[in-house]
Amino acid sequence: MKNLYVLVLVLFLFISGNTIGQNCTHNFSGIVSDIHNAAPISAIEIYIKELNKKVETDSLGRFQFSSLCPGKYTIVCSNRDGYKPIVKLFDVQENIVYNFKIEVHLKELAEVKITTLIKPKDKLSTLNATSLFGDELEKNRATNLGDIVKSIPGVNSLNTGNSVSKPVIHGMHSNRVLILNNGIRQEGQQWGSEHAPEIDPFIADKISVVKGANSIMYGSDAIAGVILVDTKPLPDSASLGGEINMVGNSNGRGGTIASFLEGKFKRLPAFSWRIQGTLKQNGTIAAPDYLLINTGLKEYNFSYELGWKKKNYGAEIFYSQFNTTLGIFGASHIGNLTDLQHAFESKVPLESTSFTYAINRPYQHVEHELFKAKFYINTGKVGKLNLVYARQYNWRYEYDKHGPLNNLLASKNNPDLEFHLTTHTLDLNWSHARRNGFKGTVGLQGMQQANTYRGRKLVPSFENGSIGVFVVENWQYKRWELEAGLRYDVKQLSVYQSEKIVSNQSVLVKTSHPFEQATASLGANYTIDTTWKCMLNLGTAWRAPSVNELYSDGLHHGAAAVEYGNSALKVEQAYVATFTGLYTPNEDLHIEVSPYYNFIQGFIYRQPTPTPVLTIRGAFPGFNYAQTDAILRGIDLYTSYHFTHWMEWKVKGSLLRAWNQAANNWLIQMPADRIETEFGFHLDHNQRLKHIYIGPSIQYVAKQHRVPEGSDFVDPPSAYWLTNLNIATHFRMGKNHAEIGMHITNLGNTRYRDYMDRFRYFTDAMGRNISFRLKYRF
Amino acid sequence: MKKKMFKPFMLALGAFSLVVVSCKKDDLKPTDDHVHNDSELITTLELKFSGKGVLRNDTTFVITFNDPDGDGGNIPTQFDTIHLLKNSTYNVELTLLDKSKTPTDTISNEVLEEANDHLFFYSSNPIGLVNVSITDKDGNGKNLGLKSTWETSNSGFGKVKVKLMHQPGVKDGTSATGDTDVEVDFQVNVK
Repeated sequence: MKNLYVLVLVLFLFISGNTIGQNCTHNFSGIVSDIHNAAPISAIEIYIKELNKKVETDSLGRFQFSSLCPGKYTIVCSNRDGYKPIVKLFDVQENIVYNFKIEVHLKELAEVKITTLIKPKDKLSTLNATSLFGDELEKNRATNLGDIVKSIPGVNSLNTGNSVSKPVIHGMHSNRVLILNNGIRQEGQQWGSEHAPEIDPFIADKISVVKGANSIMYGSDAIAGVILVDTKPLPDSASLGGEINMVGNSNGRGGTIASFLEGKFKRLPAFSWRIQGTLKQNGTIAAPDYLLINTGLKEYNFSYELGWKKKNYGAEIFYSQFNTTLGIFGASHIGNLTDLQHAFESKVPLESTSFTYAINRPYQHVEHELFKAKFYINTGKVGKLNLVYARQYNWRYEYDKHGPLNNLLASKNNPDLEFHLTTHTLDLNWSHARRNGFKGTVGLQGMQQANTYRGRKLVPSFENGSIGVFVVENWQYKRWELEAGLRYDVKQLSVYQSEKIVSNQSVLVKTSHPFEQATASLGANYTIDTTWKCMLNLGTAWRAPSVNELYSDGLHHGAAAVEYGNSALKVEQAYVATFTGLYTPNEDLHIEVSPYYNFIQGFIYRQPTPTPVLTIRGAFPGFNYAQTDAILRGIDLYTSYHFTHWMEWKVKGSLLRAWNQAANNWLIQMPADRIETEFGFHLDHNQRLKHIYIGPSIQYVAKQHRVPEGSDFVDPPSAYWLTNLNIATHFRMGKNHAEIGMHITNLGNTRYRDYMDRFRYFTDAMGRNISFRLKYRF
Repeated sequence: MKKKMFKPFMLALGAFSLVVVSCKKDDLKPTDDHVHNDSELITTLELKFSGKGVLRNDTTFVITFNDPDGDGGNIPTQFDTIHLLKNSTYNVELTLLDKSKTPTDTISNEVLEEANDHLFFYSSNPIGLVNVSITDKDGNGKNLGLKSTWETSNSGFGKVKVKLMHQPGVKDGTSATGDTDVEVDFQVNVK
């Protein structure tokens, strides 16, 4: 027994001696710089695979690992712009200095994948975040935000034709999805299903979607997720540069020009700037058999960004304007039930047209202005304090099919519906860097908005204010990462309505709706090397009923339905569980499976009235806003596999089951199951043309048969197949970089209708569209 | 650029950003109680019948459909039933009003002005209960429908649908094209 004890002791000493006795004081350090102009690059992650340790380069491009034991290590230097990371093996027997030189201008084809490109402070680490950048963003960038984010599994869009597209995450949209325009909550009339987000995708070089209840950091109402539209960081090296994009598309015979200019003066290194602008125009859209009358679009946007960056503090100003005029398909602005029936029975739209760029009634004109001012300061070495103020103006004008008959009124050409929404937000937050395994953020957020209207009354004037306070802590230890967050919000909606007391006198009555509630989140990540990663998040979220759900009273022309609000509606309370399993044994294989479960108490939806509503224009379908308990669960899938270095195969899929407990039936207006597969061919051989990518893809969308019987005017449309083709080449032109691409959607010119497109009652969806794009970056 | 030129440049840029910033402003507040309704509504449809009425040998009577919020969510406040005698002929004049305005706006006058773009349809259900013929024409010699004759034969009951269609440039005598501005289904009793 004694001998055994001695043996164990000796063994223990030997083992520990091997580690303690060793000289674990080696450094591995260096600088990461641009391969072309030797400028240092900050915020690049350097990772030691064997130790699961990572650091980021500082503003001078420097990184350092200290206290390393002698041994062989695999060092991974990550990269930006979707370029492959640099992986090198080092035998550390003494201090090593190694400088990485990386390409920051040339982009390789970017995949849709889980990425650390989003700054950790911008999202809960235990939620699935996916970014679109590089080619995956470029191929659709000239369309609109709703159509761009559809590339991510689990994300769809709710369309009103081609030009109005709203992102849908896990079946939820509008007020349940938060969109952040350069870090600021986008506030427009987002309650409307035909009100598209007023954001120009060309201000961003990266669009990310965080799926799940990200309700701690941005607002308690991000039940389904958050979409982050992030501008490119301002240049950090003295330069003058920019980009010109030109896109032309065959369907609509239109195009977009978007460009920006950015710079930093050598003599004033703290200051950097960027100015940006976009012009877009499209004419009549074509379905395979006919043209869609009045589907033109005109848009002009511009923005500027100024930055002042010192070692320990800085400031940023961002200003953007978005202006769009979009024609609403004439044969969809249908009247009463008789007319609707007539339209449904017709094989082709009831109105025909020839091609034109003109935009006539009915149309929407929307202007959105954002002004953002940010100030930040490092609080010693411990943390960083941010203060952000933003002001948004959202002007929405809607013009009906025909103006008033009265000549005097008609000559004024007033919009039939007009909203002016002014929103002020103020955010103060403090994040502390990781210490003893802990890092976190505490914040205070306030918002105040006022809405007025002119013309027809659909929703009343209102004031809306909210204050929220939150704290998030994240603890990392070896393979585990645990996260907890808590938030408390106090909100108040005040509605102003005129009430008649006698025949020609009315008084303004104010009705207030206060809401307050807490939100919580708990999550865990478990990582094994770069092979396995599991992410689990359990969170709550709550959403106050919006003004249209409380106070709608009248014909909603865009929906051709009479809607009745319910001012007694309570808040929606959501309990969300999201899980992601990620398997990446090597650089060639990526398998990502994400099941999710939402239980939403008090889910607000539209319930059809038992009989149609009678008005002077005939009978219209009526809807009451009601509440139910809903369960939305599903699974998203993404896999990619590189067979060889020049060929890869990707599969994306999503399933959703949405159940209405009170009605004991399916919830309407939920996306059908779908799957998409793409083959990618990479050709690098040609010397001048650095990289060519050819990617044909096929998508299958099932018929949405999970709808209650008789709940809709017509049966949901049949399942359909779509084929697409994406070709892109990147090459250098002197010191600069250029890209040419072609993206063909609906290659087969298939006749199809999608259940999530409100125009499916009246017309087939858009036919083949060939889009050419050119990008020159200097 | 020399360093001392930067200060004025920065100030100019800062001032510029403030100028572009104050582009939009809402001149209205939610607490302003202003008249919102510039928009036109059709609130009332009146049919003036001349001929033998049902009661006391009336020579004219008016049938009214009144919906004060036009195409809004509230139900109509008045929806008369048409009582006619069998084997009779009536001359009917149609009037559209916007009673939400002071003074009341007569919309049918504007329809008359834009007669070339409008057409009234009258359909009887069951067919033959009432035979409606349009007697007035627009500038192009096509039917308009503000004036019509209603002929009854046997007694019975049913509905007559009165529909105004806006058909700019596409008036072909049918209700296949254009948009419906008014559609009211009147109950009809022929005794």
